[in-house]
Amino acid sequence: MTKDELKNYIDTHYQEKMKFLDTGRFDLMYEVTKENLLEISKALRDDENLKFDFLCCLSGSDTREHFEVIYSIASVTKRLRLDFKIVFPYDQAEIDSVQDIWPAANWYERETWELFGIQIKNHGNLKRFLLPDEWDQGYPMRKDWDAPDFVRMPEL
Amino acid sequence: MGALRTEEFIVNMGPHHPSTHGVCRLMLTMDGERVVNVEPVIGYLHRAIEKICENRTYPQCIPIMDRFEYVTSMSCDYAFSLAVEKLAQIEVPERAEYLRVIMLELNRIASHLLFYATTAMDIGAVTPFLYGFRERELIIDLFEMTCGQRLTYNYIRIGGVSRDILPEFVPQCRKALNVIKGKLSDYQGLLNENPIWKARTKGIGVMSPELAIAYGVSGPNLRATGIKFDLRKDDPYSVYDHFDFDIPLAHNGDVFDRYLLRLREIEQSIKIIEQALDGLPEGEYKTKIPFRFKPPAGEVYSRIENSRGEMGLYILSDGSTKPVRVKARGSSYNHLQVLPEVAKDCLIADLVATFASFDVIIPEVDR
Repeated sequence: MTKDELKNYIDTHYQEKMKFLDTGRFDLMYEVTKENLLEISKALRDDENLKFDFLCCLSGSDTREHFEVIYSIASVTKRLRLDFKIVFPYDQAEIDSVQDIWPAANWYERETWELFGIQIKNHGNLKRFLLPDEWDQGYPMRKDWDAPDFVRMPEL
Repeated sequence: MGALRTEEFIVNMGPHHPSTHGVCRLMLTMDGERVVNVEPVIGYLHRAIEKICENRTYPQCIPIMDRFEYVTSMSCDYAFSLAVEKLAQIEVPERAEYLRVIMLELNRIASHLLFYATTAMDIGAVTPFLYGFRERELIIDLFEMTCGQRLTYNYIRIGGVSRDILPEFVPQCRKALNVIKGKLSDYQGLLNENPIWKARTKGIGVMSPELAIAYGVSGPNLRATGIKFDLRKDDPYSVYDHFDFDIPLAHNGDVFDRYLLRLREIEQSIKIIEQALDGLPEGEYKTKIPFRFKPPAGEVYSRIENSRGEMGLYILSDGSTKPVRVKARGSSYNHLQVLPEVAKDCLIADLVATFASFDVIIPEVDR
């Protein structure tokens, strides 16, 4: 399946649940609502024609306007690649865990929780691991967080 | 006399343990010699590379990315450059792509030799350690000659490479490849039929293909389970489609297969480099990019196959000189994550063998 065929397939089969975004500069990028996350993830993995069985990467992101969580998924058998993201405001930083669908998500979600302060529902293992155990200085990957002694590089 | 009271106990392996290659700590719950549960504790090497990159311009990020996975620095440089080139749709001259492939594959060989050296030593064979480091030196000398560095190269840049190779690079590279090619049979001769090595590795640390895919395992660890998946063939980038090479495959998914597969990959990498040296085109080695380099707003997740598996980079750009978000995905992160599943109910000595055969490198996990 080429990139265009994949786009057509998604547009016909998942049209109402996945919104195409034109920000993806190489692979396809879609937006999924928080409520549909589990349903869409499961559907993409179990769809016979897609079989997105491989979670490449799960990454939180603070765009200065809102939070995003980007799921980069791939299919090992069908050789496909796709990204989708969920977007939510700072005061509703809580998402569902996709561990049951892709077990690899466990540590990625744990890291997202630790560094961004995005709550993960039904995770079961939200313990600190990158930061020190006694860390109490907030969420370092947020844009409003600067390290002590941090010097911002001048704009070029 | 009453029955002996037995209970499980906790063993703390690391963070400073010779077989953890860096500062990884494993909390082992033991039942005698048998491992009941493994809990990796990471973060001792967390340098916040992703946060640092948000405060640097794109070209300034590359030396930081070198430290992301320092055993194959070239592939980190390349992964970042490729992601930015996809973002800004930059065309790279063909000579630059050939030079990149040569460096990436040399780096793959160096990394696999390091794997051979340290894994064998973890399992108790000391001679491979000396052999592996001896031949790795030849490759490191080539890098030093080209970019002046032996570990963090900062050679592959956005739009090309930082400088052309010297005229004496090609003959010296061919010489080094011939030496390594001749030594490959020595490496295998030392271990393949060695009864102690076989007893320690065959049927140990078996990973099923389903488990591997579920946990995002990639690279030689995935191919050792019988799944033929290599991004150089299956999601081609750079000029890998110009070369004729095979993807070695094994089916048992045990420590022995993971070891043998890497040695066989060295042969294929040599094949690629020889073809690249033969067909090295003349021309520019770099596209000019502006000093105030600003890729268009957008986002990209780009992935390459390095010696350990899939190395991915997610970059979010808002059109300014600095990235808004850089997420570096290293394959070791997933390989360490799957360790508790693979090492369940094995002996503690086999845990060391399994962990070593995954070729986990800690800076890539902690970032």
